[in-house]
Amino acid sequence: MRRKVMLAAVLLGTTALIGGCDQIKRAVGGGEVAVTESEFPEKVLWGDTHLHTANSVDAFGFGVRLGPEEALRFARGEEITSTTGVKAKLSRPLDFLVITDHAEGLGATKALYDAPRMLITDPTMRRWYDMMHEGPEGSQRAMAEILDARGRNDLPAAMMGQADAAERTKSVWNSSIDTVEDYNEPGKFTAFFGFEYTLMQGGNNLHRNIIFRDGPDKVRTVVPIDPTYKATPDEIWNYMEAYEKSTGGRVLAIPHNSNLSNGLMFELTQPGGGPMTAEYAKRRARLEPVVEITQIKGDSEAHPFLSPNDEFAGFGVAGWEISNLLGNQPKTQNMFAGEYVREALKRGLLLEAQMGVNPYKFGLIGSTDSHTALSTADEDQFFGKHSGNEPNPARVMQGQNLGTRQGRFGWHYLASGYAAVWAKANTRAAIFDAMQRREVYASTGPRMTVRFFGGWDFKADDLKGDWVRAGYQRGVPMGGELKPGAKGAPSFIVSALKDPIGANLDRVQVVKGWVDKNGKAQEKVFDVVWSDAAKRKPVGGKLPAVGDTVDVATASYKNTIGAATLNTVWTDPEFDPSVRAFYYLRVLEIPTPSWPAYDAVRFKLKLPPEVRVKQQERAYTSPIWYSPTKA
Amino acid sequence: MSGWKDRAAGLLREPLVHFLAAGALVFVVLSGRPPDAGERRIVVDEAVVTGIVNRYVQAFRRPPTPAELDGLISDHVRTEVYYREALRLGLDQDDEVVRKRMRNKMLAIAGAEAEAAQPSDADLQALLDKDPARYALPPRYTLEQRYIGADNAANRARAGADVAALNAGRTAGLAQEPLPLPGRFVDAPAFDLATQFGDDFAAALAKAPVGQWFGPVSSGFGLHVIRVEQRAQPPQPRLAEIRQRLENDWRAAAVRKAEDAHLKELLEGYDVVIERPE
Repeated sequence: MRRKVMLAAVLLGTTALIGGCDQIKRAVGGGEVAVTESEFPEKVLWGDTHLHTANSVDAFGFGVRLGPEEALRFARGEEITSTTGVKAKLSRPLDFLVITDHAEGLGATKALYDAPRMLITDPTMRRWYDMMHEGPEGSQRAMAEILDARGRNDLPAAMMGQADAAERTKSVWNSSIDTVEDYNEPGKFTAFFGFEYTLMQGGNNLHRNIIFRDGPDKVRTVVPIDPTYKATPDEIWNYMEAYEKSTGGRVLAIPHNSNLSNGLMFELTQPGGGPMTAEYAKRRARLEPVVEITQIKGDSEAHPFLSPNDEFAGFGVAGWEISNLLGNQPKTQNMFAGEYVREALKRGLLLEAQMGVNPYKFGLIGSTDSHTALSTADEDQFFGKHSGNEPNPARVMQGQNLGTRQGRFGWHYLASGYAAVWAKANTRAAIFDAMQRREVYASTGPRMTVRFFGGWDFKADDLKGDWVRAGYQRGVPMGGELKPGAKGAPSFIVSALKDPIGANLDRVQVVKGWVDKNGKAQEKVFDVVWSDAAKRKPVGGKLPAVGDTVDVATASYKNTIGAATLNTVWTDPEFDPSVRAFYYLRVLEIPTPSWPAYDAVRFKLKLPPEVRVKQQERAYTSPIWYSPTKA
Repeated sequence: MSGWKDRAAGLLREPLVHFLAAGALVFVVLSGRPPDAGERRIVVDEAVVTGIVNRYVQAFRRPPTPAELDGLISDHVRTEVYYREALRLGLDQDDEVVRKRMRNKMLAIAGAEAEAAQPSDADLQALLDKDPARYALPPRYTLEQRYIGADNAANRARAGADVAALNAGRTAGLAQEPLPLPGRFVDAPAFDLATQFGDDFAAALAKAPVGQWFGPVSSGFGLHVIRVEQRAQPPQPRLAEIRQRLENDWRAAAVRKAEDAHLKELLEGYDVVIERPE
């Protein structure tokens, strides 16, 4: 059952077409494909775990008319015509895709748009309906109003009609399941089932993406659920546990945009206050093994307020650090600690010290959160957050305020990011399992290959042999836990390789966090291997900058600085076996032009000075944790 | 005789006829009776009343009371009168909302058939035969690669010397730069090598000799010397092996084609004149 049939069915007021099509589909069927998993992950897989299509209430309102089918074709490397009529094609296909349309009001805006006008009795909805039909601009104004009403919990009752909504959700969900299944090709391209659970408290972002490991037989037994107005994730966790119990399947949740939660995503307390319970921490760690650290609406790794000694903190925070998601509550500095991932990892250690469980022991991925049905994270090929900012001359400076007066502009959007997964095969099961064991990393766009192993006896000489095998045999990969009890300090195999069609690498850093003897969380960033080492010597503990070959006037750069690959074995010089710690890698590229710079060339723009025209793109690996042996 | 045929054919190309036919189709499906803006008779038959009741139930979760139904029917009559009078006055003409709605309905009609249609094996085979390159499986390589380093004159010279040495069976003293990719690939499809090394590297493999060291070959990382041990071209996949992919492509193309053809057919009945301001 497909998009157009649905549309026709809605327009023509009949469901006969739908039933007929379903049967044909089942009769054709597809055979089982056997894909064998390798002994250990050999090739990193790239994907997007966060993409919206016309089935998302806001994406449709913002104008997108492409559905799951176009999204899948695009991710697989086909050329697609975007909603605004621009041809779009990825420089390279992705290996997997999770379409995560908002559960809340799944298909609702589209249904409103498609409905016979005379059936819309609510005057507000009728006004939105007319605005949407006026064209893209009217549609975006309507959407801003709808989101605003949603934030105020003031949507027209008719739009929230529970029975209709349930019916619509089910029909859109089933339709999307068929499409996703058609495009899933084990071994070559994996299409997951998933949805976004848009949990919000006021305008504070507590959103999660829900991803299923299973096929349509199991996933079809459930439908996406809407969040209520409670600010806790209990209900989605109940839903996930019930699904696993009733089907024997597996499902996980990925929180995102902690940077827009106004301090609520990674709290030290139970949501709503009071000490966090071990039960809550255990559930969270089990059901949410991965966090989306970077995406179009900013990067959540580290904020300069929290990490004043980290010269590279604050990537992509401009515009997003002023308020929560909907811009209806300004942000204060005391909120940052609950929003940024490095701090959350530290809080996890603190909480573990208190109650024996770490709720924030998660891996890291990036994804786009694009609302255009197009997963674009390349600076020179960025299709924007939503269809209103697909490539056009005005988009860099356009206000992006979701109906508020806060100062967010088009250029604050990042062309970021993708999820890198060390899976043993390109299948739903293998990719899911890699996420579950946190053997994943985040990139702000470029496809760098990054390996990270922790152990107790790695030596520089290991790099001369089959060090990947050694990494797995004598250590743990990213996302793992160092086994306690060994003597000496832990050593790490660190390896980064540039994107084969991208920029050279500046440096690789180890970010370490720990809880000191006084029970205080600490952090430190170590430069462990860098390019042009003969010329670049640390001065006063600080490594000189790699240089800058960006020519903004032509939006270009040269790989005359930096290195193609950086590899080392690093031993923690400050290791204290008695304190718990984590280590993750941050890999920096040399400076490259950002998407506004490419736009400036394409559309002959003169950009105001505040616009970011270049940047150092980066990758963040999942951490490796160390816990002292229990006395 | 032929005059009649010509006239009929001409009539079939007439956009107004298409418009009326499509409009009639929409209306027939919606309400079960044909529209006629000129007709001065409004019949509220059983089918219409059932439709009114159903919509009410959908909205309010209960059937209307007799009094409410009377009200709904008289409202329907009022709508019908206004609708017909509005059409008579041409009020639909300059209304963007009406125009977009009509356009969407036409598109849905054009694409729906293709969406629901099921391709025959012959259709899929034709698709496969038409563009064999698209469906061809990539060549698979078993190869060794040694990374020499950045692309510069010194490394190019070194690569040449290394190739000579390796082909003469000498490996002693040949340095390799570390590269976090495997040194040996077994039966790896070309697209996997392309995503890991870049397209140029994969393209060079196609021309490399088999069984001996060769290079330098450029990748996204610099220079390599390589030895292709085996190059295997898998046979063209059969329909049954890639049925789903062919079906996906067939359907996407069929919908596009149906929409395009429909539009083209309609456009043929129009002279489109565009006068841009200077």
